[in-house]
Amino acid sequence: MSARLLAWSHYLHAVRQAPLPSLDEPLRASCRGNHRRVDRFIQLALLGAARCATGRSLDPACGLYLGSGLGPVGNNILVQEQICRDHQFPRPFNFVNTLGSSATFYVAKELGLEGQAWWAARRGATLEALLELALADLELGVCRSALVGVVEECPAPYEDQRLRIHAAPDADMAEGSHWLLLEAESGPGPSGRLDADFGLDGPGLEAALAEAWAPGDTLALGPELPADLAARLRALARGPVLEGGYPVHDSLAGARATDWLRTLNQSRLQIACGCLGNYARIAVAA
Amino acid sequence: MAPRRVYIAGMGLSCALGRGLAACAEGLRQGRRNTVTVALDGYTEPVRLPYYALSGDAGTLFDTGRFLRLIPEAAIEALDQAGVGRVRRSRLALFVGSTAFGVSRAEGEYLEVLERHPGSAFALPRVGFQEVRDRLSSELGVGGPDFAFNTACTASANALLAAQRLISLGRIDAALVLGLELANRTTFTGFSGLQLLSQELKPFDAGRDGIVLGEGLGAVLLSAEPGPLGLELLGGASNSDTFSVTSANPDGSSIAALQRQVLDRCGLAPGDVRAVKAHGTASPLNDSGEAAGLRLAFDPLPPVVALKPYLGHTLGACGIIELVLFAESLRRGVLPPTAGFRVEDPQLGLRPLTRELEAPTGPYLLNYFGFGGNNTALVLGKTA
Repeated sequence: MSARLLAWSHYLHAVRQAPLPSLDEPLRASCRGNHRRVDRFIQLALLGAARCATGRSLDPACGLYLGSGLGPVGNNILVQEQICRDHQFPRPFNFVNTLGSSATFYVAKELGLEGQAWWAARRGATLEALLELALADLELGVCRSALVGVVEECPAPYEDQRLRIHAAPDADMAEGSHWLLLEAESGPGPSGRLDADFGLDGPGLEAALAEAWAPGDTLALGPELPADLAARLRALARGPVLEGGYPVHDSLAGARATDWLRTLNQSRLQIACGCLGNYARIAVAA
Repeated sequence: MAPRRVYIAGMGLSCALGRGLAACAEGLRQGRRNTVTVALDGYTEPVRLPYYALSGDAGTLFDTGRFLRLIPEAAIEALDQAGVGRVRRSRLALFVGSTAFGVSRAEGEYLEVLERHPGSAFALPRVGFQEVRDRLSSELGVGGPDFAFNTACTASANALLAAQRLISLGRIDAALVLGLELANRTTFTGFSGLQLLSQELKPFDAGRDGIVLGEGLGAVLLSAEPGPLGLELLGGASNSDTFSVTSANPDGSSIAALQRQVLDRCGLAPGDVRAVKAHGTASPLNDSGEAAGLRLAFDPLPPVVALKPYLGHTLGACGIIELVLFAESLRRGVLPPTAGFRVEDPQLGLRPLTRELEAPTGPYLLNYFGFGGNNTALVLGKTA
C-alpha cells in the first residue's frame, strides 16, 4: 500500500518538570480559528494538523485519521477527579472532550474538512493502525487525500503518569503530535512517498523488509519488537540502524517518521514496528 | 482485484432485551422495554435515572470487575455461530468501538484507593484502549491486529465500516467487530450535566424530550466467505459536521449528504432502500436534523424504524447492537415497529413505523450520529 506524501509536521517535547510550555502562542501563529473550550490534547492535535496543512487549502473531502495510544488523558483525569474525588458532575465541555472525536471535530473545523473523520487507536502502534485505514480508503477511492495524525499527551504530575504507563523511574517521557498529509498516487509531480505493509507476523516482517530494502535505506526499529526479531532485522539491513533515542510516548513510529522527514533527509527510512505479534513496515522518503 | 463482497457470518448480542441473540430477538418481538433505576448519591443533585441495563445484572452495575467479566460474552456467541475455532482466531483481526471502553474499571479502582489510602490515590490508574484486546486474546485466543474506535456514538459503526473495507480490499479475510458500552459513573454524571436525559425514549414523537441510556455488547463476525445467514454488509460512508460538537446541523444538510454518499458508494438509488434504521435518539435537535436529512435524500421516504426504545442509547456500541438486532429481525422476516411513538410532530414530516411489516430481501440503510460531528451510515443487505 502506498501514497504520495505531500506534507508533514513534527512536534515532540520531552517533559521533565512541570509546567509544560503554553501552546497558546504557537496555536495563534498556526491556526485560523480561535478555539475555545479545548484541552491540551486538542491543542496538540490542532497544532500538529495546522502546521502540516500550512500554506495549503485542503480538499473538504480530505479524510481525517487521528489517534492516540493513550487518548486525551489530562482531561479524563480531570473528569475522574470531579466525579470520584469531588463528587461533582463533570463540566459539560470536560465530559464531551473525554471522547477522541472532540479532537477530530476541532481539527475538521479548523481546516474546513467535511469528509470522514475517524479516531482510532492501537496501544503502542497507533500510527500503524491509522495508516492501514487511511491507505485502504485512498485505494478504495473513499477520499483522494488523507490527513493522518498521532497525538500523545503527558499530563502532570509526572510521577503519576509514570505509574499509569509503567515507565521506568529514570525514563524521560514526552508529549507529541506527528502528522502526515497523503494523497492517492496518480499523476506526476515532485513529492515524497510513503509505502507500507501491515498485519505481518515476525517472518512476514522480515520478508517484507527484505523485499522492500534498497541500497541507501536506513532502518529504524520500533521499541516493542522482540529481541530475536530485532536481531534478525539488524542483520538484514545493509545500512545504518536507528534504535531508541526518544523519550517514552506511545506513538514512537509517528515520531520517528516525522522527525526523519523534518530533517529533509533525502534517503528513505524503513521503520519496522508494531507489537504483540502484529507488525508493520512503514517506509518514508521526503 | 475487484472489491470483494463482505458477509455477516456470525452475530452475538447481550443487551436489556436479553442475553444472547435469540432472547433479544424474542424480546423485540414482544415489544419488551426493560429499564432499571440507577441511583447515584453524594452529588449536589442526586442522580435517579431509568437505564436499560443488561438483563439480570442490575444489582452489580458498578462492580469493578464487571467490565472484564462481560467483555467476551457477545464475541463468544458470534465466533461460535460463525464456526471460527481457536486456530483461525490466532490471526483474526479485531475492531472495537466504544465511548467508555474500560472507564468503569478505572473509576472503581480509583474509588477503592481513595477510600483506603486517599494520600496515594491518583485518578485514571488505567489508560488506553487495549483491555478489550487483551481480554479477548487471553480468553478466546483472538490475536490479530486490533483497531479501537472512539468516535462517540458512531464508534462501532465505524469499526464495522473499517473492517468491511479491509476485507473488501483483500487485506484481511475475516474480522471480529465488537461494540461495547457498560455502566459507568462518567457517562451517567456527564449526560446528567448536559441535561440530555429523559424518563422515556420517544423517537420522532412530538413530545420527545431526550435520551435514556443503555448498555450492552454486540459482536459481528465479518467474512469474505458467504455464510448461511443471508446477510451482507454492502458498505457505508462517514462524514463530518462541524455545526456543533454535540449535534448535527438541524437543517439536515450533512445528514442528507451522508445518505447520498452511502447510496453512491453502494451503487444504489434512493428507491432501492427497503427501510431505514434511524439513529433516533429522541433528543429534540437530533431527531429534527435526522428527519430533515432523510426528507432531503428520500422522496418518498422508505419505512423508518428506531430501535432505541427497546435498547436505550448504547452510545458507542449502538452501531453494532442495533445492526445485530435489526439484522436478526430481518432474518426472521420482520421489520420491527418503533415503540414509544404516539403523536406525530408536524415539524418533522416523518412518522416512524409503528406496526410490524414483512421484511423483503434487498438493501437496508442504518444511520448513526455522534458527538464531534461524526455521522456514519451503513448498508445491510438481506439476501435470503
